[in-house]
Amino acid sequence: MKKIMMKGTEAIGEAAIMAGCRNFFGYPITPQNELTEYMARRLPEVGGCFLQAESEVAAVNMIYGAASVGKRAMTSTSSPGFSLMQEGISYIACAQLPAVFVNIVRGGPGLGDIQPSQGDYFQATKGGGHGDYRLIVLAPSTVQEAVTLTELAFELADKYRNPALVLADGLLGQMMEPVEIEEKQVSYDNSSWALTGAKDRPPRKVTSFNIDPYELEKMNLKLQEKYRKMEQEEPRWEEFQTEDADVLLVAYGTVGRICKSVVRMAREAGLKVGLFRPITLYPYPYKPLEELAKHVSLILTVEMSSGQMLEDVKLAALRLTRIEFYGRMAGVVPTPGEIFDHLMHLIGRR
Amino acid sequence: MAKNKVFVGLYGSGKTEIAMNFAIKSKVNGMQVTIADVDVTASYFRVREFKDMLEKKGIRVLTPAEQFMRADLPLIDASVMGYLQNPNYLVVLDVGGDEKGSIVLGSLREYLSDADVYFVVNVRRPFCETPEKICGHIERIQRAASIKVNYLINNSNLASQTTVDVVREGEEIVKEVSRMMSIPVAFNVVAEPLDYRGEFETFKIERYLIGKEEPF
Repeated sequence: MKKIMMKGTEAIGEAAIMAGCRNFFGYPITPQNELTEYMARRLPEVGGCFLQAESEVAAVNMIYGAASVGKRAMTSTSSPGFSLMQEGISYIACAQLPAVFVNIVRGGPGLGDIQPSQGDYFQATKGGGHGDYRLIVLAPSTVQEAVTLTELAFELADKYRNPALVLADGLLGQMMEPVEIEEKQVSYDNSSWALTGAKDRPPRKVTSFNIDPYELEKMNLKLQEKYRKMEQEEPRWEEFQTEDADVLLVAYGTVGRICKSVVRMAREAGLKVGLFRPITLYPYPYKPLEELAKHVSLILTVEMSSGQMLEDVKLAALRLTRIEFYGRMAGVVPTPGEIFDHLMHLIGRR
Repeated sequence: MAKNKVFVGLYGSGKTEIAMNFAIKSKVNGMQVTIADVDVTASYFRVREFKDMLEKKGIRVLTPAEQFMRADLPLIDASVMGYLQNPNYLVVLDVGGDEKGSIVLGSLREYLSDADVYFVVNVRRPFCETPEKICGHIERIQRAASIKVNYLINNSNLASQTTVDVVREGEEIVKEVSRMMSIPVAFNVVAEPLDYRGEFETFKIERYLIGKEEPF
């Protein structure tokens, strides 16, 4: 495919199609409407199915149904809509089905506003719905990376038979950049579990239910085993100018990108500042962050939320170094300048 | 040339960028200029975000009232109708994308008798790779907005990665659309610092929304 200009939302949609997704069920909400609209226009062109559900609750259950018969399925929404989907996501996780979710996060809590935010970090990484389950959470910082991570989301969802989430803020969803999207052949063997009709084989069932607590615990243990494996094998992150860094910025998504500019400003001022950008928010890259923390005198975590990822940074680095926080909320995007000023203040230069 | 200028096209085709540049250029040429943000579909990257910059250049900016500026509501300031009829002002209308955005023109129709309607094309946007597809979009938008497109604009670009080949490829496709629809091409849009001279007039712009190497 030729390089074209795409919004983050559109690029995620096209990447899903290139990864073999042919089923999309969704409900409109700003600032992710371009994704549902893109799928509505594009899926019929490739023989896929787009359905506008009557609500997010309906959409997530359509995903549950499509996934249980072995079809690649995706939905996208924004914060309040993602809250509505939580029950279904918990069911899908327990039933061990692959499915891909996209949350283009906006300002909250409540109805909030339609400006970009990272306020759904806890919801994405620590559960969101009920019960002991985990979502694979991928956080792109550019439109091109949104493409890569959407394809990866399908791959990991299949590999672990677990729902995966692409978590991006509204800015990344709306921003337009040149991208290249290649068709991605992802191997997909669902022959051992998909409900395809029981002719010539014993019937199967897909369920998130067992009335016997010992049996349900067994199901839980199976899930936990998968999560431990993910935690071992799947953490992903980017390091930027960390080799000689004395101060480490930690930020993800759009803020990770903003912090790259802060690193450049700091380097120009002669300061040894680097950036650690988690790409998987679950499983969180604790180990590499812990290693870096041993060699820096200060970690500054920056978010478009009140200090949510900060808790994971502390799990990795508490007592290893000084940890500080800077955040804006409710749809306010911090500028490189204000983060730089805060950093200067922390190290006693202002 | 008509007094008022209307920019329509698909989402992300570059309407806002061109409308702002057009307003700035007209102002420099000594005209009284108003730019009206009647985009009821985009959630970010609208004229209203550049209000201060435009006002500093002496351009009157019409947006929904301050307290509703960031609301997810389809609002159009009532004064737009007045300015469209005011002979002393050149009005640039920045319309929302696709037929959903263009539909607002229906409500302004009776004030648009003295207006040129420009259809903006970036062939490096989804659903714009062939002349046939672009013709289909023009027809859809004309129907939804009850307007006739008077001119085409080739705004083919890849932000900061635009090359002359990208503009040239766009020019060829837009030329074919022009032939098929009998709509003349107004100009090729070329952003600083790129230099391109093609068959049509070149409209040099500065990019405010996209095209910076690093947006932050």
